[in-house]
Amino acid sequence: MSKMMTSFVEALRAADVQVSPAETLDAMEAADLVGFGDRTLLKDTLALSLAKTPEEKAFFDETFDRFFSFETMENSTSDDDAAESQQSQANDGEQGDDADNSDGDASDSDGEESDAAGSGGPPSGSGQGGADPEEQAGEEAAQSSQSLMEMLQSSDRNALSMAIARAGEEVGIRNIRFFTQRGLYGRRIMERIGLQELIDAIVAAEREEGVGGPRVEELKGVRERLRRDVDDYVERNLALYAQNEGKRLREEVLESVRLTNVEMRDFKMMQSLVRKMAKKLVSLHSRRRKKARRGHLDVRRTIRHNVAYDGMMFDTHWKRRKVDRPEVMAICDVSGSVSTVARFLLMFLYSLGEVLPKVRSFAFSGHLGEVTDLFETMDIEQAIPQILHEFGGGSTDYGVSLMDFADVALKDIDNRTTVILLGDGRSNYTDPRADIMKQIYAQARRVIILNPEPEGLWGTGDSEMLKLKPFSHKAQMCGSLKDLERVVDDILRTAA
Amino acid sequence: MSDKVKSGAVQAEIELIKDGFEAGGYVANTHIATAVFLAKALDKPILVEGPPGVGKTELAKATASYLGRELIRLQCYEGLDEAKALYEWKYGKQLLYTQVLKDKLADLMAGTNGIDEAMERLHTFDDTFFSPEFLEPRPLLKALQVPDGGVLLVDEVDKSDQEFEAFLLEILSDFQVSIPEIGTIKADVKPVVFLTSNNTREVGDALKRRCLHLYISFPDQKLEMRIIEKRVPGVPASLRSQLVTFVQELRTKTIKKLPAVSETIDWARALLLLHTDELDETLVRNTLNLLLKFEDDIESVENEIPGMVRRAREGG
Repeated sequence: MSKMMTSFVEALRAADVQVSPAETLDAMEAADLVGFGDRTLLKDTLALSLAKTPEEKAFFDETFDRFFSFETMENSTSDDDAAESQQSQANDGEQGDDADNSDGDASDSDGEESDAAGSGGPPSGSGQGGADPEEQAGEEAAQSSQSLMEMLQSSDRNALSMAIARAGEEVGIRNIRFFTQRGLYGRRIMERIGLQELIDAIVAAEREEGVGGPRVEELKGVRERLRRDVDDYVERNLALYAQNEGKRLREEVLESVRLTNVEMRDFKMMQSLVRKMAKKLVSLHSRRRKKARRGHLDVRRTIRHNVAYDGMMFDTHWKRRKVDRPEVMAICDVSGSVSTVARFLLMFLYSLGEVLPKVRSFAFSGHLGEVTDLFETMDIEQAIPQILHEFGGGSTDYGVSLMDFADVALKDIDNRTTVILLGDGRSNYTDPRADIMKQIYAQARRVIILNPEPEGLWGTGDSEMLKLKPFSHKAQMCGSLKDLERVVDDILRTAA
Repeated sequence: MSDKVKSGAVQAEIELIKDGFEAGGYVANTHIATAVFLAKALDKPILVEGPPGVGKTELAKATASYLGRELIRLQCYEGLDEAKALYEWKYGKQLLYTQVLKDKLADLMAGTNGIDEAMERLHTFDDTFFSPEFLEPRPLLKALQVPDGGVLLVDEVDKSDQEFEAFLLEILSDFQVSIPEIGTIKADVKPVVFLTSNNTREVGDALKRRCLHLYISFPDQKLEMRIIEKRVPGVPASLRSQLVTFVQELRTKTIKKLPAVSETIDWARALLLLHTDELDETLVRNTLNLLLKFEDDIESVENEIPGMVRRAREGG
């Protein structure tokens, strides 16, 4: 049972649910309390103690249904109800056969109890093996290979799927991670389950009846069916243990690829990645630091601490002042020269706005406008094209845009504000109005310029980076998501 | 005990909780009842999350009345600290005590020779200055001291500071607090603890790990109708199903703030006051501000009201 729990937790982790060892213990305790007799109850119980965000709950539901469609529902560790559990396994198995094919998809997962209870699992070998695996493994293997022919002949599907599950456990099906490994594991299971015996039988039959005899065909049919069963089993395990592995790999690649090179089809994934990143950063930095011993005397506490000294106020206590989270104003260039990157920068701004309370966003190319409202009222899919349509495409004019910015927002910049300028600094040979930049610089707590171009290109052609750069606390290249993360991390760290 | 029997017993108990809740006017689904059962059986706090107005706070109240225990509520806000959450010395009384002590000092010290002897005499008295008499318990301490166990509701824990959250950890895992001057105070009967969060800030992992996590979402049509039936009994059945259908459809729209159960209840009450038997367009238009709390939201659904009313009437 504890082994089953750990493999379930492993499956959950593969499905992106964060589970700590302590939570696993809690879940075991809870499961022990409610028992394994009722599927819905068990599911509710485990969900309460393992999945701790709404997204995780969804993943949990899916994984639970998939996992317990072919794991045992019975606690077979204690001896006295072993017989009973055997019995009910067999019962479950019969019902389970038809539910077998459908329970992979998540659509039927929520709360259809009849179906759910039915799929309580035919191939229950692993749970049983969990009792004391070392001791039983050899014996069971011998048993299964002995009876393979019998099982096939009598088409006892329960016994067969149990044997498959047992073999799967033995070859370590839990370590399957990529779909390319399907063949490998399939073959190993077939071998383990006693394929050789079957082949021998086929060869013997051929010798007797010649190629194409009825007995030979029958045996070949049996082999085909066995192979299909094994493939199904491997397939389901792959879905269980490896569903996110490929995605994770892609994400890693996407994170470090240059933003200009990300392809259209990856946008969706990029989006969730960006969001994840923004969330991580904010939860990391939402902690507010205390500045102690500054500001006002805390009269109440001082009195309290000084009663013991007959009310002589010599042990003073001060009100602690908290520093608010930073106010961020982000100005984003969406002109033609940065069009490929603009989408991501906007995406990041959007996500940042979702997680930080005080972000004001502006977009510009030829002129500038505030887009905070757009971000707040629209979905990201609508907001970004809208902004690109409204402000994008035109030729950049930093001068005009900064003037616009000064009109709209300069008065709101104070010593708590961090201003981020996202853009390549290419102003089409117009005056970039560095003087406005200077004014912003003077008022704001921090000014940061993020440029998608590498530093070597700054100041070449119509790039005005060198003029703008002096009026920033930090000017950095920011080409990939990794860069972006690092920079924003830095902003939040120092601005807090 | 075999598993089947065990599960059966547990299920019966969960049903009992459900019925108990319902008798108190709180309609819960099995999921919620299971959470309460587990919290009680495992002595674990429940972290309840969900959109505002789905009855998170109400759940704690219902549990308290079901168990017949005292509900102790701690509302969290920015800057909440130990002195307001845990305990405080009654320093006014302590001051008075020193005054009294001063007056009596001469009597007490009568007959002592020299300062050493006086000090010795002084030490024979109990240190009443920092004693339970002068302790002002705040909600958290109170919850531990309730003789037969209470129900502690830590409301909107996401509004408190990170430090306070860390401080909660000790209490929630061991159900004890240490007061340096007195010692450790431990709960005789562990209270049932509810923490609620609206997710204005991600609650820390450490806290989440120690809690059962219950997510309450908007109820489905059936459950919501039963809730209305329980909470606003006077509403006729046809109107009830109409208004619930309407609200359910409203929740599928993209608006700033979706109407919650509490809003449905308010609306149902209002409709009852207006002696309505059936939804109609003007009525909905006039009372929509009970459901939607933003002008933008009202404007954005305004045009769809006739269709929604029609569908609600057909459905109901």
